[in-house]
Amino acid sequence: MRTSIWLACAVVGAGAVASGPAVSQEALKIGVPTALTGTYAGLGNEAVRAVEFAAEQVNAKGGVAGRKVEIKTLDSEAKPEVARKQAEKLALEGYKILTGTIASGEGLAMAPMLARWDAIYVSTINKSDKLTGESCGPRVFRVNKQDAQDAAVVKPWLAKRKEGKWAIMAADIAWGRDSGRSFVEAAKAGKKQIVAELYSPFGTNDFAPFIQEIKSSGAEGLWVALAGRDAINFATQAKEFGILDKIFVAGVSFVTDNTVKALGPISKGVWGIINYSSTLDTPANKAFVEAWKKKYNGDEPTNFEGETYMGMQVIFQAVERAKSVKPMNVAKAMHGGTFDTILGKLKIRAEDHQIVAPNFFGYIGERDGKLRPIITETISAETATPAPTGTCKMAAF
Amino acid sequence: MTAGDAALEEAAPVRARRASPVVAAALAAAAIVLGGVFAGAVQSTLLMTLLTQAIITAILATGVGFLIRQNGVVSFGHAAFYGMACYTIALAMRHGVMPIEAAILLALVLPTALAFALGLVIVRIPGVAFSMLTLAVGQALYEFATKARHATGGDDGLTVNLPARVFGVSTSLFQDPHAMFVVSWAVLALVVLALAAVAASPFGRLTAAIRENEERARFIGYATVLPRVLVLTLSAFVVAIAGVLFTLYNAFVSPDVLHWSLSGSALIMAIIGGPRLIWGPAFGAIIFFFAKDMAGDVTEHWQAIIGVILIVVMLLLPVGLGGALARLWRRGAGHG
Repeated sequence: MRTSIWLACAVVGAGAVASGPAVSQEALKIGVPTALTGTYAGLGNEAVRAVEFAAEQVNAKGGVAGRKVEIKTLDSEAKPEVARKQAEKLALEGYKILTGTIASGEGLAMAPMLARWDAIYVSTINKSDKLTGESCGPRVFRVNKQDAQDAAVVKPWLAKRKEGKWAIMAADIAWGRDSGRSFVEAAKAGKKQIVAELYSPFGTNDFAPFIQEIKSSGAEGLWVALAGRDAINFATQAKEFGILDKIFVAGVSFVTDNTVKALGPISKGVWGIINYSSTLDTPANKAFVEAWKKKYNGDEPTNFEGETYMGMQVIFQAVERAKSVKPMNVAKAMHGGTFDTILGKLKIRAEDHQIVAPNFFGYIGERDGKLRPIITETISAETATPAPTGTCKMAAF
Repeated sequence: MTAGDAALEEAAPVRARRASPVVAAALAAAAIVLGGVFAGAVQSTLLMTLLTQAIITAILATGVGFLIRQNGVVSFGHAAFYGMACYTIALAMRHGVMPIEAAILLALVLPTALAFALGLVIVRIPGVAFSMLTLAVGQALYEFATKARHATGGDDGLTVNLPARVFGVSTSLFQDPHAMFVVSWAVLALVVLALAAVAASPFGRLTAAIRENEERARFIGYATVLPRVLVLTLSAFVVAIAGVLFTLYNAFVSPDVLHWSLSGSALIMAIIGGPRLIWGPAFGAIIFFFAKDMAGDVTEHWQAIIGVILIVVMLLLPVGLGGALARLWRRGAGHG
């Protein structure tokens, strides 16, 4: 009996030695808890497309430093509670590098759990300042633009606008509230008056009461922070009520590449923040857009697709530098690191793990016979990214 | 249902009633020990965390099922009691107004008291109207939690800052899937045991009599409102226990814990499992949880699969899967 145990140990030991090199080539497993159903399903599908595209692209070249990239996606319904459950499932199945989640509330719900799961989270769409503020930590990163970066763009733009009275229409979730708050601040700085500040429940179908209030408030300008189906419902109904023609409209994540497709001419002339555009003229971006078009029948990558692809670029480079797929080793490589992305060489700040990136502003117009966001202003990374506010107390690694 | 089946159904409670408290307690103790052994044997953290969540949901379904069993009414609003327990702890911890032990106590007392006060008004109302009222109460609380952003964090929910120790036990124990499985499993076993004892008691028989024919029970001379109120109160208390376990385990609450869809899921679990049995809803909850999990891995349309299961159970097995299982067992025992 004892001999057989020793024999078993020897066999297992030999196996471990033999599989030594294979273990170091452990696959890079990326978990994507994202909205596949509900109000943000459109955004979730964009995130998944970008993650899959990046993985396929790098796997075709032999993987990340010889490591195959594996993806698993689970539906989070854009609900914080569900996102936590699904992220936990992914992490415990070994998909410990999490990304592609839509709603800020989801990211904020996942953040405190990362240590328990031994996972890291790389946000590519969450905008709430809290994620790299109060909720920051060694395992949380943001490769997309936060609200503060959007606000830095809005402030100078708003000051120049001729409209004096503004209304805000935003989603009643972490991101919408953040965006509304920073717009109020920007309005104060630009000596504009806020005549209505409205927050609609996540997943609102009937916007009529809100539209009535906007109309009766006497607003000349309207700031919209709605995304996904909320954005489409609001825009369609606002058009019917005639406010899109009478009031000057701008927003964030409101008319994006994808909602423009659904809205058509309704979206024409709406201004807004453009976090990423496929028209950006850098060699890296051009190569990305060309490859994307080839895979997706001539479709160009949308803003969320571009930003999520950037997240994957950062993850891949961090894994290469860490020479490991262990979440904390990858996190260490990201902490304060500089990465080659489709928006150029960008740094992830060590203070709060926020990426320092340029931001853009523009409107929906016609170009090459197609309606699309057109960039009118480019704001450099330094100007677009305000210094850390000090709300983040980064724990030691 | 044949006459023989009906007789069998009738005979079952009688037999349960005859089971001595010693045997019942021994059964519960055995179940708890088995749970501990099981947790020790299973390595997979993933399986344990899924099971722990399933068991906590099973306690919720047991509360909902008990109301159906004893009062013969269906609640669409039990998430109100569950969520209220969750938010009580979350808010108490957020504002640091009391120690965690007091918060847990309050989280059990508040929903129970609400159910009692509410019960005095709504148990007199029959059938669908009762269900609609419970739905209204549940949704009112849900809307409040969503709108009162400053207090509750709105749709984004609240992270619950638990202290390092709860009742002298390290908090990390309540958040460890293996340990929490044992805790929740033990609580479920005790809840089922206690509810079975209540159902077999004179009080349980009285409420069953009221359920069958309220007028006749009143005519015989029984007060018929208070017993029903007490059943509702007890079922809310059970549900509140589930809420407390959920909050300890997850350390996070969002308005989802108050939403009617949670009440609805609990109801579906109870019906799949068979609310005529005390343990039926818990059994249904575990089937529901894993069916949802497996279906959710395959397709995003997991609701359709649950829907099909529900239709099949309601059409072919009105006693629920638990009921069918119990019948098979009895038949097997009869032959043996």
